[in-house]
Amino acid sequence: MEEPQKGKTMEAIHSFILASVLVLCPTSLPADTSSITADAEQSRSAGTFTAPRMLFESAVVPAVAAEIPLQESSPVTETYVQDENTKSVSAQHADVEEKEAQETVSVESKAVNEQEEEDGPEIADPLVPFNRVMFHVNDKLYFWVLKPVTQVYSHIIPEDFRIVFSNAYDNLKAPVRMLNNLLQLRLKAAGNELIRFLFNSTAGIGGLGDVARDALGIKKQEADFGQTLGHYGVGHGFYIVLPVLGPSSLRDTVGFAGDRLMYPLTYVSKDVLPVEATVGIAAHEKVNDTSFRIGDYESFKESAVEPYVSMRDAFVQHRKKKVEQSDPISKKR
Amino acid sequence: MNLKGKGMKRQLIIMMLLLCLIFPVSAVAGAALETVKGHADRVMEVLRDPALKPESAKKIKKDRIRAVSVKMFDFAELSKRTLARNWERFNPDQQKEFIELYRSLLEDAYADKILSYTDEKIVFGKEVPLTEKTVEVRSTVLRKTGEIPIYYRVILKDGVWRVYDVVIEGVSLIGNYRAQFRKILSNKPPESLLETLRKKVDKG
Repeated sequence: MEEPQKGKTMEAIHSFILASVLVLCPTSLPADTSSITADAEQSRSAGTFTAPRMLFESAVVPAVAAEIPLQESSPVTETYVQDENTKSVSAQHADVEEKEAQETVSVESKAVNEQEEEDGPEIADPLVPFNRVMFHVNDKLYFWVLKPVTQVYSHIIPEDFRIVFSNAYDNLKAPVRMLNNLLQLRLKAAGNELIRFLFNSTAGIGGLGDVARDALGIKKQEADFGQTLGHYGVGHGFYIVLPVLGPSSLRDTVGFAGDRLMYPLTYVSKDVLPVEATVGIAAHEKVNDTSFRIGDYESFKESAVEPYVSMRDAFVQHRKKKVEQSDPISKKR
Repeated sequence: MNLKGKGMKRQLIIMMLLLCLIFPVSAVAGAALETVKGHADRVMEVLRDPALKPESAKKIKKDRIRAVSVKMFDFAELSKRTLARNWERFNPDQQKEFIELYRSLLEDAYADKILSYTDEKIVFGKEVPLTEKTVEVRSTVLRKTGEIPIYYRVILKDGVWRVYDVVIEGVSLIGNYRAQFRKILSNKPPESLLETLRKKVDKG
């Protein structure tokens, strides 16, 4: 049952990587923040933002400039591959995989840290008007729909059951994590996810319990396709707030679609699992997931002075960290 | 007797000197972690104190946590690093007020959040030097459905380690506020930011 699915999935992933490389230009990874900052500095002092090239190549523009609605400019279609990245990836990856991504902090990264104190990672935001509306829609969606539904739900379903659901949904996503770890050449993490999937699906009764973590001490190894793209040098492109799903970018939206292709339920026949059921499952997963984080969004809003900017920045920082974690060698963080 | 005592004393001194030679780095290096851990333990004590369990004791809890936070954080450093190059645009009085307002904002925002924690566990990992005077202390909060990495960035001033940034799942607190404040300060004077903060803090 696993085999043909996997073949199909791999094929899909390959075409996806190809497509995304064509759509998005590879961009400089966070290691080059110094040059990016220099770029940003330049355009800031110039006072205008007239560099579409920068938008698609570095995906980093000063927030000030990002607020100015940009004129539509067609994405540059020329592609170049950063040889530095691809080389290091194949050569040393496997053996250093033993070490956790966070194990070592190199001296260079300190310098970058200090640099970021001044200019944090930023993202192009040409869709500000749309994004702000979506941000507002999602906000209302949370307070008017998701929160009340979740409150009733967690009132009815005891926490232990909700944890079981959470484990089951998580187990279904194990193939996604495994394949992405594999694509990022994090072989040990991929192996761990494989063991977790096999173990939790059997001994954990279809993933209802996280036996692999509790009994074997093998922890989940998060990985997603947006991260995989970032790992190979693909930049965000631009920021986009998706309905329901929330903050994302062009890269991560492609990543989301890629992850769906690796998701087992995508390949269950429509006869067995009609569209309504798929939507129902997704909705339940969302509610179940939210039941553990009621209050998080509220305190985010309470703490923010500029909620829209705060969320965008948190998204960029969080995703940057994820991409760095996927590459323990050149970033060593 | 006297002689023996002297000899023992000398031995002790030599041993201590030796110990100092062997463990100087680790002794200093562990200090940041121990400091942060100590503060975190005290907060957890307050949260778990059965005497403070009833809802009516919420205020006492908040006050005690606030007392810890004052010792734990270097709000001046935190403010300076948040505003970064905009810090210079504030005059000394404005800087002072900013520090106070920012502190209240953070307290209001996170007090309730922290109070909602009951059975979460904090595991302290290791510390990573960032610069000569700054260190990152890494911890993980264990929740029932997963783990949240929380890193404290601390700075050594006058022999005391104090937190100047908290990085949760890769998101730096001061970095996030810097982006927000920069947005406001990009087309408004420092006074407007202070006014915005005053309103925000009053409401909370």
